Amino acid sequence: MSFDRRDFLALGTAMAAGTVFGPISAALSHTGGDERGEAGGDAKDHRASAKNSWGMVIDINKCETGCTVCVDACKKENNIPEFHDPLLDIHWIRKLTFKQKGVPNAEERSMPAMCFHCEHPPCAHVCPVAATFVRKDGIVLVDKHRCIGCRYCMIACPYKARSFVSKHVEPKPGDNPDVPVRMHGVVEKCTLCVHRIDGGLEPACVEACKKKGNGAMMFGDFADPESGISKQARTSKASQIRPDLGCNPRVFYMGV
Amino acid sequence: MKIRYRRIEGRSKEYYIFMAVSGAVALMAPLSAYILFLKGHNITGMNNQVPWGMPIVMAVYLIGASAGSLVLSALSSVFGKSEYKPFSRSASLLAIILIVAALMAIIMDWGRPDRVLVPFFHFQPRSMFSLNAILYNSYMVIGFLYLLAQFKENEKWTKILGLAAVFIAIGVHSGTGAIFGFVYVRELYNSPLLAPSFIAAALSSGTAMMIIVLHITFKATGRKLDDELIYSLAKLMGVFILVVAYFIFIENATRSYAPKNYEAASFLLLHGGKYTAYFWLGLIFMGLLVPALIVFNKSTSRSVKWVLAASWMQLIGVLFERYIIVIPAQIVPIEFFPDKEIVSSSFLDGQYGHYSVSPIEWMFSLGLIGVVVFGYGLAIRLWPMLPTEAVYTDPAKLKLESEPENLEPGEAKDEKTTTPAPGEVTS
Repeated sequence: MSFDRRDFLALGTAMAAGTVFGPISAALSHTGGDERGEAGGDAKDHRASAKNSWGMVIDINKCETGCTVCVDACKKENNIPEFHDPLLDIHWIRKLTFKQKGVPNAEERSMPAMCFHCEHPPCAHVCPVAATFVRKDGIVLVDKHRCIGCRYCMIACPYKARSFVSKHVEPKPGDNPDVPVRMHGVVEKCTLCVHRIDGGLEPACVEACKKKGNGAMMFGDFADPESGISKQARTSKASQIRPDLGCNPRVFYMGV
Repeated sequence: MKIRYRRIEGRSKEYYIFMAVSGAVALMAPLSAYILFLKGHNITGMNNQVPWGMPIVMAVYLIGASAGSLVLSALSSVFGKSEYKPFSRSASLLAIILIVAALMAIIMDWGRPDRVLVPFFHFQPRSMFSLNAILYNSYMVIGFLYLLAQFKENEKWTKILGLAAVFIAIGVHSGTGAIFGFVYVRELYNSPLLAPSFIAAALSSGTAMMIIVLHITFKATGRKLDDELIYSLAKLMGVFILVVAYFIFIENATRSYAPKNYEAASFLLLHGGKYTAYFWLGLIFMGLLVPALIVFNKSTSRSVKWVLAASWMQLIGVLFERYIIVIPAQIVPIEFFPDKEIVSSSFLDGQYGHYSVSPIEWMFSLGLIGVVVFGYGLAIRLWPMLPTEAVYTDPAKLKLESEPENLEPGEAKDEKTTTPAPGEVTS
C-alpha cells in the first residue's frame, strides 16, 4: 500500500465532512429539542398544550417543620429507591430548614424544594443532546432514553434539583406502574408528576400536603389569571428563589 | 538544512518492554470504563453534589495538552519559525493522540457510554458540550490531514491545514474553558477569563510536554538532539507560564473583590484544605514559580537537567490547575438563599461537598496516560515521525528546503522485514 496523497486526502476529506457536517445536518433537523409537545403513551392522556402553564405556590407559613409527607408521597408515587446515602440518593423533592442570616435567635422555618420548572432552564440549555426539554405547558422533562449521563445539567442547575442514578435499580412488586421504569446512568428529576397532570390529577406532593391538612402546597395553571396560584403569586408576599439568575422558576414561595 | 525523518527501529528488548508496559497500562482505561458501566458511578468519588470528578479533569488536561502541541507544531509550518521544524510532525501526532484520549475520557465517564452515537443525531446549539462535540471531531480530522500534508512535504497544504488546525485548536480549548466559564450559578466557574486562561495553560503544558517527549525519545533512540532546541523551547514555556500566572492573578483578584464571592474565593485561596494546598503548592509554587525561575535564570536555563525538571513541574502543575478549576467549584455549596442561613437539609444544601479520587478513577486516569504513551510509541515505530537528528538552526541562517527526500538505501534496509508502512517511501 503506497502512501498516496489523493487517496488520503479524499479519505480525510470524507471523514472531515462526516464529522463536521453530520452533527450540523442533525442540528438543522433536530434543533427543536426545546419544544417537544406530546406526553406520548396512552391515547386517553391529555396532550400537553401551550394553553396551560403549570406551576406551584408554596406557603411556607403553613409548612410544618419535621413533616415529610410531600417527600414520602413523591418517593412512593415515583418509585424512588433508598440508597441510605444522601449523596447518592435520588432527590426529586427535599425538605430544608433555614433562618435569617445575621439575626440573633432567628426563627427556623421549613420548606420543600424541588425542580422549579424554570422558564429558562439552565439544565436544558446545557444538555448536549437536548434530552432535557420544556414541554409546551412549561414542564421541564428529561428523556431518559436520550440522556447520555454526562451530568452537565447537574453542574448548571442552580437549585440542586437533579440526581444521577448511580446504581442499578431493579423494578420491584408494588411499584407504581404509571411511571417509567428507572434507568441507571442517566440524570432524573421531578416531573411535576406529569403522568398525574395528564390524567387530570395534582402532583403527589401537593395531594399529600392537602391530605395532611397543612395545605402549604398549591398546584395550578399560571395561564389562567383567575387560578388560585395566579392570585397568590401576584401578591407582595410571593417570591421566587434566586430570581437574580433570571431562570424564572414556576414555583413561587409565600412568606420566605 | 535538510531534515530527514525516519521511523524508530523498534527491535530492541527495551522497546518491546516499553510497549508491553504502556499497552497494559492503556488497557486499564477501557477496563475501568467497563467496570464503571457495570457497577455504576457509585463506586467513584463522584456523587450528586460533586457530579464531575477526575475523568473530567483528565479530559480537560488532555485537550489542553493537545491544543498546545498543535500550536507548537504550527510554529514552523504556519508562523515560519523553521527552527522548530524538527518536532513539527511529532507534535501534531501527539495532538491527535491526546484528543483521542480526551474523547475517550469524556465518553467513558458518561453514565451511558453505550449511547455514544446520540450526540451525532441530537444537537443543542446552546450547549457548550454540544458545540464542542463538533469542534473535537473536526479538530481530530483536521489535525490528521495536517499531519498528512506534512508527510507529503506539501508546503502549501501544510500551511493551509496548519492554520486551520491552529484556529480550531484555539476554538476547541476556548470551548472547553467555556463549558465551565458559562456556568453562571457557580462562583468559581463563572468567568470570561477561563477560555483564554485555558489556552495559556494549554500552551505552557504543551511546551513542557514537548520538551520532555523530545528528550526521552531522542535519548532512547540514540538520536542527536541539539540542546539549543530545548533551551529555546524552555524560553517559550517561560513566556507562556507568565501569561498563565497573569490570568490566574486577574481572575482571582476580580473574584475576591466582591463580598458575595468572599466565601467561594476564600475557600479556594485560604481555607479549602487540600484544594488550597493544590492551588498554592501544586499550581503556583511547583507549576509556575519554580519553573519560571529556572527558565529565566541564566545558568539553570542552559542546563538540560534543570529545564527538564522545570518542564515536569509545569506539566504536573497544570494538572493541578485543571483539578482546582473542575473540583472546588462543586465543593463550595450553591447559594440557594443568599440572605438566609440553611440550618438543615436532606440533600446537604449549604454544606460543603466531598470528593476524593477513587481507585477506579485513578485506574481510568492512568489508563488514559497509558493510551497516549502507547499510541505515541507505536506511531513513531510505524511512521517516520522523528528526524534522524534535531538541530537547532539560528532562525536568521536557516534555509528552507521543501523538496521531499528519499530515504537513503542504508537506512531503508533496517525495515525490510516489516510491511512497508504508509509514508515510508517519502521523507
